[in-house]
Amino acid sequence: MTAAATTTTIVTGRAATRAARRHAGGSRGGEQLIGWVFLAPFLGAFALFLAWPILHGLYLSFTDQSLTGSGGGFVGVANYVEALGDPVMWGAFGNTVWFTVLSTVPLVVIALLMAVLVDRGLPGQWLWRLSFFMPYLLASTVISQIWIWIFNPQIGAANNVLKAFGLEPIAWLQDPAVNMLAIVIATVWWTIGFNFLLYLAALQNIPQQQYEAAALDGAGGWRQFWSITLPQLGPATTLIGLLQILASLKLFDQAYQMLGGLSSDTTRSIVQYIYETGFVGYRFGYSAAISYVFFAIIIILGVAQALITRRRKDVR
Amino acid sequence: MTPPLDLNRRQFLGAAGLAAGTALLAGCAPSASAAGTRPLQFWHLLSGGDGVTMSGLLDAVNSAQADYRIRPTVLAWGTPYYTKLAMAAAGGRAPDVAIMHATRVLGWAPGGLLDAWDTGRLADLGVDASTFPDPIWKKGEVDGKRLSIALDAHPFVLMYNTDVCRKAGVLGADGRLKEAKSPDEFLAMVDAIAGVTGGHGLSYGYLGDGSQMWRLFYTLYTQHGIEMAMPQGGSAVIDKDAAVASLAFMQKLLDGKRAAKQADYGTAVAEFATGKSGMFLSGVWELRTMLAAKIPFDIAMIPPLFGARTAYADSHSFVLPHQSHPDPASRDLVYRFVADMLKGSFGWAEAGHIPAYLPVTGSPQYADLLPQAHYAEAAGYVRYDPPAWFTGSGSNFQGQFGAAAQPALLGGGSPADAIARFEEAVARFQAQPNPADPEGARR
Repeated sequence: MTAAATTTTIVTGRAATRAARRHAGGSRGGEQLIGWVFLAPFLGAFALFLAWPILHGLYLSFTDQSLTGSGGGFVGVANYVEALGDPVMWGAFGNTVWFTVLSTVPLVVIALLMAVLVDRGLPGQWLWRLSFFMPYLLASTVISQIWIWIFNPQIGAANNVLKAFGLEPIAWLQDPAVNMLAIVIATVWWTIGFNFLLYLAALQNIPQQQYEAAALDGAGGWRQFWSITLPQLGPATTLIGLLQILASLKLFDQAYQMLGGLSSDTTRSIVQYIYETGFVGYRFGYSAAISYVFFAIIIILGVAQALITRRRKDVR
Repeated sequence: MTPPLDLNRRQFLGAAGLAAGTALLAGCAPSASAAGTRPLQFWHLLSGGDGVTMSGLLDAVNSAQADYRIRPTVLAWGTPYYTKLAMAAAGGRAPDVAIMHATRVLGWAPGGLLDAWDTGRLADLGVDASTFPDPIWKKGEVDGKRLSIALDAHPFVLMYNTDVCRKAGVLGADGRLKEAKSPDEFLAMVDAIAGVTGGHGLSYGYLGDGSQMWRLFYTLYTQHGIEMAMPQGGSAVIDKDAAVASLAFMQKLLDGKRAAKQADYGTAVAEFATGKSGMFLSGVWELRTMLAAKIPFDIAMIPPLFGARTAYADSHSFVLPHQSHPDPASRDLVYRFVADMLKGSFGWAEAGHIPAYLPVTGSPQYADLLPQAHYAEAAGYVRYDPPAWFTGSGSNFQGQFGAAAQPALLGGGSPADAIARFEEAVARFQAQPNPADPEGARR
């Protein structure tokens, strides 16, 4: 402590002059330079791992580049024309949207429900908080292994439950009629903790006086929930919904791992198809084109959503 | 916690840094154990029991001579392996030698990803057409160039529990399984076995595993005396009746009594390994698992139910991934290494695979090796995937077959619909150019 203090006093004199000079307008550039130096590590990583791949991917999408090194010639928009007419791509896109719908709704609604229950003061709050959030901390590989066992058609826990109710066993991950649902169930279990935590924080931010005032006016529990809790959670819900939609559209790892790479027409997501085309089928150019089509669709969705929310605000 | 040496902090850090640096440098240098020993890079995709056997073989060839030393790199089976090998070969800085499935070689042939073997040099080392079963040797040749040399054939076979089968009365006087001559005869045998086990008669895991479905299906299909053809840009030759009959037979097996309706690979292995069923349809590579399970069992070719004697198989084969500037001395040693491996491939049979090198399987020693000798004949009847760039082990093609066939096997959907879906998938593949072919990029 003493050493630090001494150093400070020594420096002060010179630093003061420098600061004074700076204020006089001399070395604004020097300050900026230091700023850039501090930014450099991030900018370097950003340029190398985000900006460059995005640009290079765009370039690849106009070539017939193959992973095997052959091709690479410019083919214009041929890849895009093929992608837009590719039934497998549209099927994969449909699956992705379907998964997003199936997963986002419970991931918002159930998370809210869990947060409200915990906030209302269930006994042992810390235990609920911990157990709801815990799965989120696990890696997707771990989640996949756990659910592969739960969904095992012959010895899995899921079918044991069905059997206990006298129901027929289901091939959860293999039957095309239910495998998407199985992925959704596993995903909800895995990621709901994050939304739950966001909701819980938002709930705890609602001023208590509002409830007190409402109670004085004779509002019951439900009335308070609909008229105070839900509206106050509006911004949190928008955020959670948006994050969730983006996360669900990226569906790949858990589905890929749980289905063992078997691409079934009912579960193939768009990212899975990009992977299959590029890394199994070696068609880098075409898979880049598909990812840009997907990118464009997400941007359109994003802009549409922004417009809708803005209009709603205007109406209000 | 007293330091053994009286070093101050700086001295200690300096010494530690020096030691670490030396260790790092040592890691970089090719540590030639004997003067003149050349390291050869060898990539393969064999893990688990296969991997253990392979490292045993490599140890044997390494210690038998002092000219080369194999440095193996093992990568995950399937797509991860082929992606990395393709990229290494595309860059011209590939390992000296690698293993590929024989069925994947054709797709790689046109792009120059593989260098051709010199048959003259091979013959000098005792490796030529006369030392391989015909279909296996031929599979390694593409457009007149020898691109791969098979180490083995690993067919799809029928394992059976000898205790259970004896009780069910399906063994012959020689203690081996009676050979069924028709689908109904085979189904009756499975029924008899199911009567003994009280559970399922046969184990077959297929759920979510396109390769497993394809292996059995294509064995049955080729038993009709035909093969599929999928020429690039043309239309596929698929005998619809034979295909439907094969799939319908698989449905009859998976009726919940003869075999579980819904079994994945691991479940089926466990069922047979614990003696809960009497038969098991699988690849020879599960031999080690069953030996470890200590059950009384034997292995036979899948009986010729539809007439012809065939076995779906693939071969682990040696290839020369493309190097832009191959070192002639290393190349020479690679030839020797391959010849050494083939001649020492008796040990490879431990993993269940049938060595492709005839002097090995023709040896009296091999004839005494059981149960391997009981299915060695399969090497003469192998049927590989239909030749096309998109087929082969670990390819999208087998996955697509699974996606088409599984609804029929699982839910009892119509086999004809499943085959129609399969044909659509094949047509989609055929319409695509071979991504490894510089000429075919957009034909």
